[in-house]
Amino acid sequence: MSDIVRRDPRKEWIARNRLHPEHSEVLAELCGGASPSEWIGPSGLTRRNPHAVGFTGPNGIKRIDRSGAQQAATQPGGRQAQPKDTRRRVEIETPHFLVAVVPDLPGGRLSSHDRDVLGLARQLADADPERPGAVLAIVFGAHKETTFDEAGVDRLLPMEDAESSGYLSELRIAALQSVERELAPRYWLLPDSSLGGGELGRRLAARLGERPATQVWQVEADVDSDTGWRCTARGAAGTKDITRDLPRVALALAECAEPVSETRHATQAVRLNQALPDVLGRIEDLGEVAVDPASVSLAEAEFILSAGNGVKDWEGYHHAAQVLGATEGASRVAVDDGYMPRDRQVGATGTWVSARVYVAVGISGAIQHLQGIQSCDKVVAINLNEGCDMVKRADLAVIGDAGEILAALVAHIEHYREQQQENRDAA
Amino acid sequence: MPHNATSSSHAGLQVAVLVSIGRHPLTARARRADQDARAVEMALSLDDAAIRLVHAGGNDDDNEEALRGYLGMGIDEINVIKQASNADIVPALVTSLRDAAPQLVFTGSRAEVGEGSGLVPYLLAEALGWPVINGLAQVESIEHGVATVLQALPRGKRRRLRVRLPAIATVDSNAPPARQSAFGPARRGELAARACSSMPDELQAQWHMQTARKRPKRLKIVKSASARDRFKAAAAKAEGGSGQVLSDVSPEQGAEAIFKLLKEEDVLR
Amino acid sequence: MLDTLLPILFFSALALAAIGAVRRVRLWRQGRHSPVSLIRGLIAMPRRYLVDLHHVVARDKAMSNTHVATAGGFVLAALLAIVVHGLGLDSAILAWALLAATTCMFVGSLFVAKRRRNPPPRLSKGPWMRLPKSLIAFSLGVFLVTLPTAGILPEDLGSWVLALALAGVVAWGLGELFFGMTWGGPMKHAFAGALHLAFHRRPERFSDKHGGEGRSTGLKALRLEDPATKLGVEKPADFAWNQLLGFDACVQCGRCEAACPAFAAGQPLNPKKLIQDMVVGMVGGSDAHYAGSPYPGKPVGEHAGEPHGPIVTRPSTKGGTALVDAETLWSCTTCRACVEECPMMIEHVDAIVDMRRFLTLEHGNTPNKGAEVLDNLIATDNPGGFDPGSRTHWAADLNLPLMADKREAEVLLWLGDGVFDMRNQRTLRALVKVLRAAQVDFAVLGNEERDSGDVARRLGDEATFQSLAKRNIATLGQYRFARIVTCDPHSFHVLKNEYGELGGNYEVYHHSTYLNRLLEEGKLSLKAWKGGTVTYHDPCYLGRYNGEYEAPRDVLRALGIEVEEMARSGYRSRCCGGGGGAPITDIPGKQRIPDMRMNDVRETGAELVAVGCPQCTAMLEGVVEPRAEIKDIAELVADALIEDDSAESTSRDEAAGKARRAEEEVTL
Repeated sequence: MSDIVRRDPRKEWIARNRLHPEHSEVLAELCGGASPSEWIGPSGLTRRNPHAVGFTGPNGIKRIDRSGAQQAATQPGGRQAQPKDTRRRVEIETPHFLVAVVPDLPGGRLSSHDRDVLGLARQLADADPERPGAVLAIVFGAHKETTFDEAGVDRLLPMEDAESSGYLSELRIAALQSVERELAPRYWLLPDSSLGGGELGRRLAARLGERPATQVWQVEADVDSDTGWRCTARGAAGTKDITRDLPRVALALAECAEPVSETRHATQAVRLNQALPDVLGRIEDLGEVAVDPASVSLAEAEFILSAGNGVKDWEGYHHAAQVLGATEGASRVAVDDGYMPRDRQVGATGTWVSARVYVAVGISGAIQHLQGIQSCDKVVAINLNEGCDMVKRADLAVIGDAGEILAALVAHIEHYREQQQENRDAA
Repeated sequence: MPHNATSSSHAGLQVAVLVSIGRHPLTARARRADQDARAVEMALSLDDAAIRLVHAGGNDDDNEEALRGYLGMGIDEINVIKQASNADIVPALVTSLRDAAPQLVFTGSRAEVGEGSGLVPYLLAEALGWPVINGLAQVESIEHGVATVLQALPRGKRRRLRVRLPAIATVDSNAPPARQSAFGPARRGELAARACSSMPDELQAQWHMQTARKRPKRLKIVKSASARDRFKAAAAKAEGGSGQVLSDVSPEQGAEAIFKLLKEEDVLR
Repeated sequence: MLDTLLPILFFSALALAAIGAVRRVRLWRQGRHSPVSLIRGLIAMPRRYLVDLHHVVARDKAMSNTHVATAGGFVLAALLAIVVHGLGLDSAILAWALLAATTCMFVGSLFVAKRRRNPPPRLSKGPWMRLPKSLIAFSLGVFLVTLPTAGILPEDLGSWVLALALAGVVAWGLGELFFGMTWGGPMKHAFAGALHLAFHRRPERFSDKHGGEGRSTGLKALRLEDPATKLGVEKPADFAWNQLLGFDACVQCGRCEAACPAFAAGQPLNPKKLIQDMVVGMVGGSDAHYAGSPYPGKPVGEHAGEPHGPIVTRPSTKGGTALVDAETLWSCTTCRACVEECPMMIEHVDAIVDMRRFLTLEHGNTPNKGAEVLDNLIATDNPGGFDPGSRTHWAADLNLPLMADKREAEVLLWLGDGVFDMRNQRTLRALVKVLRAAQVDFAVLGNEERDSGDVARRLGDEATFQSLAKRNIATLGQYRFARIVTCDPHSFHVLKNEYGELGGNYEVYHHSTYLNRLLEEGKLSLKAWKGGTVTYHDPCYLGRYNGEYEAPRDVLRALGIEVEEMARSGYRSRCCGGGGGAPITDIPGKQRIPDMRMNDVRETGAELVAVGCPQCTAMLEGVVEPRAEIKDIAELVADALIEDDSAESTSRDEAAGKARRAEEEVTL
């Protein structure tokens, strides 16, 4: 809720004038709700309607909170919906240039990395208000994204050939080459991700004969630069920063720029005039191969469900790991007791892990183990003993029987997945 | 698992592995580059392959030690194409590969020193007109000039691809780890140096290189129009210290809390 | 008739023995050159036998006496019999002496026979079971044929049948004891053993006349200069010739087997079998004739080798076994329990490390985490792969004096890689606190320190060891200090015993020894111990490797602790399982070595185990609770420390004051 009081003298006058035909509407609007509880009376005095103040408490008794906090909470709907509506709509009719972005669209939706790159594209396109550019998003295959406008896309070029699904980077490069020929964007921006953008961008740069900037994490305006922009990119396996002029093709890291949040854009569909050329593909996609998440190496895993001495129901544990899609880890004791193979051992004497989420089930947290999970982002402990070291380390600790909690978690997730599936089907 | 590449039909397969000098991330000591070593490992796992290691670059003592790291994996010789330290190595590599005409070229995804942009394999492929595959995880079979390989996708997924040879494949950290480099073979192996005209990389000379700065951590943006909420979010104590402990809760409540955290962290598929 | 038969018998047996000896010597000579002084060795041999060997044998009193009687009787009897019967010297005195000798030997043989009636599992069976009979045959036979010579019985008693029978019995005895001695029978141990003692690869391990104890435990450096030479031992013939001789000396008594922690844990190692396998390899053939306990989980008869064939097969050549499997070699914790127990002074650990060197340096096959650890040591100078610039992060608040600043100090405190381990940091803190309380002038190397190279060396990576050692020696050479003190027995051993060969000679103390010295000098005042019962676990690298058994116990006594000794303590202490890179190579067994050690602790009923080694601490603390608490001696001393204010006020010098201030900062 905005604390800045914006006054509209005309409306205040109407609110004071009980005889004005719009009096009641204005009054309601000023008070933000259906029943106005306070307004400036015609004589300039503040008028209150005590019946409209306050809320009904849990016991059915009317309560009035004079701090004002509660009052704000009773009227959330209208106020919070407001900023969404106030986002500026931007339409660029005749762009002076194009900034082409090829988002990854993992799972058919814009990833946060995609949004960051689109934010960067906006930055480049909007630099000169006199000569605005347009952001062109090139989208391969079918997608489920509905918020291209919020992400800052002015022009959308869908390439929905049936063939473009799957791994056909040779075809995609040919398509992007056509875009280059017909639309000649000033910049090509791609997410430097392992999901496809990193590869596609390098292929594109090699094809276009451009020397791209890779792993770009910062772009700043720079008058000394030929292109007017200077970028900072990571080099030498992330140990060096390379500062250079922004080239035509840039592969940007996540968080390279703020995603668009203040404006909505036209997302006007465009098409290429010419059909895509036929390309003789030398790489054939035979489809994905099922891989057991348990076989992912511990050091690479980003979500680990680790079992220790406190796990009694091993079948349940393995089932939970499968449902969660987590990589299995283990404490030394679980390995020594033969429940888990040696290569699953986490800790100073096993593998040092760097998972985003590490769930320790029934692990009390020997110091060697805790050292091994030092670089984990979030640690969840499920343990019977509230005093153990793992609970102290954990960001979230649940005290209780590991088997029951895991079972409940599995049930919860299965339920959630079903719901999502329904939503998806409905959409 | 790496041994199930069928050997019958690609006897005498010519494989070239492009290797570079690595730098240890903590101590910056020269070493065999991790991904390149995995590429060598991938080549060694092929039965009946004639493996040729190629390195293009400057050649001082420090580098020699690092290159010997590859020899220690059981390689007899590395072809060293001597280049000036500021050279663009792509033209030299193109010439070398064109002459040697291997059927498969393995290399790491990106170098650990210099620009490390990971472009070299794509530039080579473009110059030679060969297909390039990234993220090679395993070579399943090579038959009649066609290789069936597994490509590593994020989160341990794999995709099966069939590629017509000759081809270039890059190997990243999802590939099987490199074998130990043994001291004896490392110092017995040979570095066959060959001089080659080097093209200076002029563009790179204009760049400014420095030790990587720590990237600022993105603040959590609170999408609220209320200054009070924004202030609260900005001033809130950074998470840390002791975490939340839920005792005396039902398993369902505990599961709910864990589920919430997992969803926040976006690790549920 | 016996008069003609016996000389023939004796001299043909001696001749055959001589041929056998030549053959045996040629087998040993397949090995690499190894410089030993032959004459001096032969001169020293009797003393080594009578003093050093019997020092080990005498740990088993009954067996010692049996051996003295049998062996002494035999040697005397054999010499006299050759003179009396072989040369036909008709002397009644000699004959009487011979009778006495054979009687003595006969009595000894009876005890040998008694022991063989129900032998403990560690003893080898097979041909060894017939040895007492052969001994009895020889002693009895020679006794009987000597009776006429001594004049007790008439010369021509009995018929030729009896004479023949007697000659047969003597021939049996001679066959076993003369012929078998050099042709590979059980008596081989006497022949090879005697020469092994004379030409031992570590002559310095034997005591000397002046009462020196004699100890040689440091590994011998591998020469790395010539790139063409093979590194380590690939084939039996790659051992030094006197190592091969040593293997041949084995009596298969199985004392090593009984002491080996890996064998007890069910890991595929049996030191006795390993030595026998080396003999099999030296001669060529299969291990099918081995009659002792096998490597746990590995049946006998599947392995074979030859002098110039590989000992271990490469894993890449699929299937097939050679002489020994790699995991046998990697099971060893290098605790030296086998070497300590071996009455034949065989150096098992040397042999194992020699073979490991080949596997690591030539094959590049260090198992499990081995390769990673070695890579880390090469790249970061510590096995964990930590930033070498963060070595002193743990002590950010301690204000440790750096050698780089001071250039000179009385004590150089060697911290070891425990600086990266949170548990060991507690020990180090305690040690620093105690040193400060005793106002010791000390300094640390800080980030200049590197891993001592112990793990690399035990894993066979001699190149990395020497690289680390040489750089450490160069660093140490920049500073002046009287002595090095460390709380890591592995660093202690390496600095003290293994840097010398590379040019670094230092006075090195384990912290328990140094603390004991401080206590003796009265520099520390301690509160009386109030806790429960305490036992002490001897670290292998402090005890067996360096003979320091008493100082830690003295420190505990000074604390007022009466140590409740474990059944296996002192030189018989059982390893914690943490040495020799064993936790890194991690060969699976039936149980874990630290669990077995904790059971030893449990038997004493102690509530606390005092230790003096970061490895032991880590391994023992890895045992699942409930178990005894584990504390380093430094921690125990630090806990009992009385801050002596009066002493401080009288002798407050600037350094001490500074130290005290820093300490206050810590306690705040």
